[in-house]
Amino acid sequence: MKKKLGIYICACGGNISDYVDIEKVKDSIKDEDCVILAKTTMFACGDSNQNDMDTDIKENNLSGIVVASCSPKLHLSTFRAVSERAGLNKYNYVHANIREQASWAHSDDKTGATEKAILLVKAAIAKARLAESLEPIVIESKRSVAVIGGGVAGLKAAISLSRMQDEVFLIERDSRVGGKLHELDTISPEQLTGKELLNILEEDIKNEKNITLMTNSEVVGYSGNIGDFKLKVNISGSQGQSQKDINVGSILVATGFNSYTPADGEFGYNQIKNVITLPQFRKLLRNSNEKLIYNDKKIGSIAYIYCVGSRQAKGDNKYCSRYCCTAAVQASLDVKHKYPEIQNYHFTKGVRTYGKQELIYKESNRVGDIYIQFLDKKPPVVTEYDGAISIKAGDLLSEKKEIEAIADLVVLITGMVPDKDTSLGSLFKLPKGRDKFFNEIHMKLRPVETVIDGITIAGTCQGPKNVMESVNSAMSAAAKSHSFVSKGELELEPIIAYVDKSSCNWCNACSEACPFNAVSMIDDGGKSVATINTSTCKGCGMCLPVCPSDSIELISFTNKEMESMIDVLAK
Amino acid sequence: MQKEPTTLSFDALVIGGGIAGGEAALNLASNGYKVIIIEKRLSLGGKMIMLSKVFPTLDCSACITTPKVSEISRHPNITIFTESDLTSVEKRGEHDFVAKVTRRPRYVVAEDCTACQLCEEACPVIVKDQFQYNLVGRKAAYIPFSIASPKVAAIDIENCTLCGACEKVCPPGCIDFTQEPRDYVITAKTAIVATGFKLYDPSNVPRYNYGEAKNVITSMQMERLLAPTRPFHTILRSSDGKVPDKIAYVLCAGSRDDSLGNPICSQICCMYSIKQAQLLMGALPMADITIYYIDIRAYGKGYEEFYEQAAGMGVRFVKGKIGRISEKENGNLTLRYEDLASGKLKEADHDLVVLSVGVKPNSEPAGLFTTHKLELDSLQFVKQSDPLLSPAKTTIEGVFVAGTATGPKDIPDSILSAGSASTEAICYLNQ
Repeated sequence: MKKKLGIYICACGGNISDYVDIEKVKDSIKDEDCVILAKTTMFACGDSNQNDMDTDIKENNLSGIVVASCSPKLHLSTFRAVSERAGLNKYNYVHANIREQASWAHSDDKTGATEKAILLVKAAIAKARLAESLEPIVIESKRSVAVIGGGVAGLKAAISLSRMQDEVFLIERDSRVGGKLHELDTISPEQLTGKELLNILEEDIKNEKNITLMTNSEVVGYSGNIGDFKLKVNISGSQGQSQKDINVGSILVATGFNSYTPADGEFGYNQIKNVITLPQFRKLLRNSNEKLIYNDKKIGSIAYIYCVGSRQAKGDNKYCSRYCCTAAVQASLDVKHKYPEIQNYHFTKGVRTYGKQELIYKESNRVGDIYIQFLDKKPPVVTEYDGAISIKAGDLLSEKKEIEAIADLVVLITGMVPDKDTSLGSLFKLPKGRDKFFNEIHMKLRPVETVIDGITIAGTCQGPKNVMESVNSAMSAAAKSHSFVSKGELELEPIIAYVDKSSCNWCNACSEACPFNAVSMIDDGGKSVATINTSTCKGCGMCLPVCPSDSIELISFTNKEMESMIDVLAK
Repeated sequence: MQKEPTTLSFDALVIGGGIAGGEAALNLASNGYKVIIIEKRLSLGGKMIMLSKVFPTLDCSACITTPKVSEISRHPNITIFTESDLTSVEKRGEHDFVAKVTRRPRYVVAEDCTACQLCEEACPVIVKDQFQYNLVGRKAAYIPFSIASPKVAAIDIENCTLCGACEKVCPPGCIDFTQEPRDYVITAKTAIVATGFKLYDPSNVPRYNYGEAKNVITSMQMERLLAPTRPFHTILRSSDGKVPDKIAYVLCAGSRDDSLGNPICSQICCMYSIKQAQLLMGALPMADITIYYIDIRAYGKGYEEFYEQAAGMGVRFVKGKIGRISEKENGNLTLRYEDLASGKLKEADHDLVVLSVGVKPNSEPAGLFTTHKLELDSLQFVKQSDPLLSPAKTTIEGVFVAGTATGPKDIPDSILSAGSASTEAICYLNQ
């Protein structure tokens, strides 16, 4: 039966229509074969247009639709949902990207952008003519989650998941949980120490019946997919190594950060006595009593140098580590509370005590701390000076003049860097950003989901955060992981590879090309042929071009469909 | 007249239909819980739906908000009351909340309205359009804005002259002046407060001259000028139509200043100003843009790089606090400021000044809870009873908080806190 297609061309509120003449696009495609309806719209994704599409599909009995708008990454699922609601199988919907691929790419050439948009829409129409209805693959989902990392984010996520009645495996590399909480003193705004927080969390963990705590444990093997991941965990114990297999519906990664380690000589580190990092300083402060003494020297003044390992003018770490300004100001206030006679000097690049944290910066100013804002061109120079340390820097706050402070101790406010053990990221193939932290699927609206279905990220492995922010992100990731497993079953995309057994002569090429181990060899009446595991195949298409006998098709991207699109584009 | 209020039951009551309330509702709904969202205004989407683009991705805000809002409004487990006032919430016991809600009439039968806008054309009354932050006018019969959800007309009865012009042209005949407020009693097992923030009103600061000098605008007005659904389809001074070529941003307008009653940093203004500056450089390549700042707080993921990018594009950053803004005869403005790099008081002329207004607490939710006290913190934000380990907990067990109700937050942090609140709510429901 001949298809009846409806075509919608989106203005994207000017994002498209400022460069692509969408009326012209509509006029050029409205008489294409099978097209019975063509419209332009201000926002195709908007509620009112979705309603219109729903009505159009029903009233005109449409058997396929095309929306020409932004990237399918944004709205493929939006319009599939519209089709479904209107009673049209969602795989009869075809997306044409005329924003990223036409209007934005060719904003300097409106005519060219319009011509390209017309071709892209025609190609989508060609595909829509051949599109077939498909049913999703339904799989069972294990009601269990693996939480990897037992710092504050991992602990909080595990507790939350357990309270939502999911079975939890909490996997910690170290011999004890707590992560960086062991190193933290006063944490604003609560004035609680890391140890105190950890005690509360450990008590909670003990009371949760759904949590299996695995310390000294590392994930070394990974297979499967959302709903049914299989992990191999190496456990080192007093009797040597053992291995355990666990099976979970979702994985929540909370592997945390490392503190930046300054290079030898960076602001005098490891070369000048009494130059230490913030974590070292916190330890010193924690263990000091009536007097603050370091290397036998009674400390009367302290200089803090900010942005060490962050916001580097020269160096790879361009990002801001977010937590350290507040952490440094808080540490200096702790000093003031314990030793009021000590003078603090802060060499900053502009203090970033954002939000309510501003209040502790105010307090620091009130107690008499001195702030110097150094220039990138004249960063602090740290030298030994008469038994103490001299810090010189150009100061933005005093006409860029060189300011010198003499201090007994220099504290380098070191930022956060990604965990140096990158094996887990490689194992899961988790994408990373320019800053080398794990990347979320969408920075604004989907900050804890990753491109790998079923794997969420929480806490500082995604980027620098303070404790409160880590906990929010952990509980947010717990909500998402829970939603993957709470219903007991999941629907997977049916867009996967399919092997034509009659022409396949097993040669292993497809299996080698597959990044997901989804291809295996089976015997088909005495002949070896390839077969695809339907729940692990992601439909990436890597196996298609390597097949010498052209025996593999990708459902919904068949040779016939692709060739029909190419014919249009190459005309 | 409605005699008895209608009674409805849900698992969760979400107060506020902005991006935080919406995200919290979606999390609950996708785990099978029945949710009702009570929204004061005519549309879901809160402040985010009004924005131009978002930092640092420069995604068009409408493009990422509308699908989210659409998902919320179509979810089978979510019921939405817009244009509704929550008057009280009583806690009768654990998992037992009773809320009183009044739905104000739109004077339009929502189910029948097709958003054809003929009523808008016919209406003779023009008033300031609050959804365009008073940059342009709207009619008394109107669609709130082009991407509103629900996209249904409403009659602004305060300003309506009851001339009946809209009634005559409405094709489905859905305008109904006899509609009355409807009262509801809503029971729920848990509640999430997502009442958001208020923008700082710069007319409180005489030296900014806002409201007096025609070409001093707020950053939210600039958002509207830059948005895809913008009122003028270009950037211009709404006072005289001139295309500005020397634009100033005044950061910390109403933030980090005890004398203005707001000691804290608003957390978002540095970044949205840098974003607007980048968008302006795209829209008006010849314009000079200067940002007057105290500190640039580009603290989030990708923010520092975004700040560096703006500086690289030629945005001028001047460290210094603004004193007085005075208007010249041609409508241009003279800014008196302290230039910290030279330590001198200076003056500079600009033809458009944008005040980067900050975040003020919305203390309304405190008054809603009648049987238990929903405490506020010293800044009048909703108090977090355990800010480090359970940031979404309030002083009432079973009532959780999401988004900027507890303090300034950018969009990702609002989303994370909404996720946190929904997890707390599910844990509480499982108790």
